[in-house]
This record gives sequence, C-alpha cells and structure tokens, in this order.
Amino acid sequence: MLSQIKLALAFCVLTLPWGSQFSVSAQESTAKTLATGTFHGKVHQTSGRATIYQEADGKLVLRLTNFKTSNGPDVHVILIAAKDAEDDANFLKSDIARVELGKLKGNEGDQNYEIPKGTDLAKFQTVSIYCERFNANFGAAPLEKF
Amino acid sequence: MTDSMISWLSRKKWILAGIGLPVLVAAWWAFRPEKLWVNVKVNEPAPFGSSADLQPLYTGRLAGRAHPTSGRASIYQTPDGSRDLRLTDFMTSNGPDVHVVLAQSGDESLGQAFVKGELNSVELGQLKANQGDQNYHLPDSADLNRYDAVVIYCERFHAVFGVAKLDKF
Repeated sequence: MLSQIKLALAFCVLTLPWGSQFSVSAQESTAKTLATGTFHGKVHQTSGRATIYQEADGKLVLRLTNFKTSNGPDVHVILIAAKDAEDDANFLKSDIARVELGKLKGNEGDQNYEIPKGTDLAKFQTVSIYCERFNANFGAAPLEKF
Repeated sequence: MTDSMISWLSRKKWILAGIGLPVLVAAWWAFRPEKLWVNVKVNEPAPFGSSADLQPLYTGRLAGRAHPTSGRASIYQTPDGSRDLRLTDFMTSNGPDVHVVLAQSGDESLGQAFVKGELNSVELGQLKANQGDQNYHLPDSADLNRYDAVVIYCERFHAVFGVAKLDKF
C-alpha cells in the first residue's frame, strides 16, 4: 500500500507542468522561420528585412520584405561568409566566400530567392545586395536566429 | 583660315567622335545611370500559404541590462486580429516580481539598469518563466507605433533586466 502511495506521489510530481506548453508555433505545417535580419547600406540606401524560411520539404528560401535599394546594373543577391558587411565597405573583399542566389528581381518590394541545397547557414550569415560588375556591396543584412 | 586647316579639323572631329562615342556607350553600359530614376517593383507572395497562419508583425533581439538577457521577442497577429508577443530562445535571470511590459524604445531610462521613477509602459503580465518559449497576449489598446520595445522589468526594484527594440517584420 505504502509503495503504491509513493509511486502515485512520484507520478504526480513527475507529471507536474514543469515547462508550460504553448502553441503559437505558427508555420509548423507550412514553413519554418530560421533566421532574420534588417538591411543597412549607406552608399546606396538599402532597407528592409531578409528572412530565411525552411519549407516543409526542406527547401530553403530567402525572402525580402519592405525592401528597397537603389537600382543599378548587374545587381545580384548573395550570401556571404561574414558576420556583417560593414557600411563603409562599399566593396566586398575579393577573398570572401559567397553563394549566388540570383539576379535582383526588383529594387523595391517583396521577393523570394531559392537557396541552393547544402548551403551552410552557420557559415553564410549575411545577405548582400551586390553589384557584380563593380564588386560593390549596395547593402547587407546580418542574419540572426529567429 | 586655310582650306587645308578646315579639312584637318573636320577630320579630327570624326576621329574624336569615333573614339568618344564608344567610350560613352561603354560608360553607359557600365553605370546605367538611367537606373537611378527607373525603379523595378515586385510583389511576390510568401513562399507558403500564410493567410490562415499567424502573421509576424514585429521582431527584435533582447539585450541584457541589469541581468544577462537574451533571445528573440516577436509580435504575431492571429487570424482573429488579436496580437500576441512570443519570446523564443529566451533566457534571463530569475527574480522577484518580474513582468513583461511594452515601453518606448526612445525612453532614456531603458538605457540604464534601473529606472528612476515610473516606467511609461504597457503591462503584458508576470514573466511566466525565466527560460523557454512563452506567449503573452497584447491588450487591443496597445499602440505598437508608440510602444516599440519589449522590456523584462522587475517592478519591485524598477530594474530593467533586458530590452528588445522591435523592428517591423
């Protein structure tokens, strides 16, 4: 009898709500938000938000929202292996590792870019709006865990 | 002016034009200056169906003041129009009478560990736990244009544990 009470007590203690469970986990069924950050750029005014989503099938997508930069020739979206591209560094260091995501679709507005499979987001932590012709960094968004 | 000089000049003009025009075209191709005035707007939908989902409105990272505090604070809008604050990756130190409040990011007292007097704030509730993901309901009256910072705040000692400046998502 006593051992049964002890067991019951132990069970009660174990099932106490230690950590509260909440269910705001929004896009669980659709897409998960992995990382986000805001753009800064002085030489070419750049603003907005960059967010990386993981879709249900594992595909990674970069989405730009509230986005605005100056138009220019041969502008691309890339990920760079850096914590941040400095404001004043109008030009990227030539030895910096980068992942090409595609030509900039528009200098204003919401837009999506697919991230190649196998891209290491722990290494490529910054989004850069990048003029390939002049190696110029229009604006950069350092990403942080969402 | 002799005839020969005039013909030399006109020849030279053609040579200058022959050099100058390609230079101009090359410069135009390289810099595309007209793009300074030409904007290209796009409006792609999110890569997932999100109309029924919670919409993130604002987000920001928590920075410690009186106590080391870290994590992310995000404000979501639910399909019925109400708003929730969600803390993720959250960690602060435990303490007495700790609350989650909204305050104004421009408020100078948030730069310090302790607030002199009363903090101008909107109460969201007692801190549920000092670690882990958690949600707080926002009163409908809360104006996020004015109150654009999440503060982990000890009411008893007016101590600012941590602050997150909210940016539009």
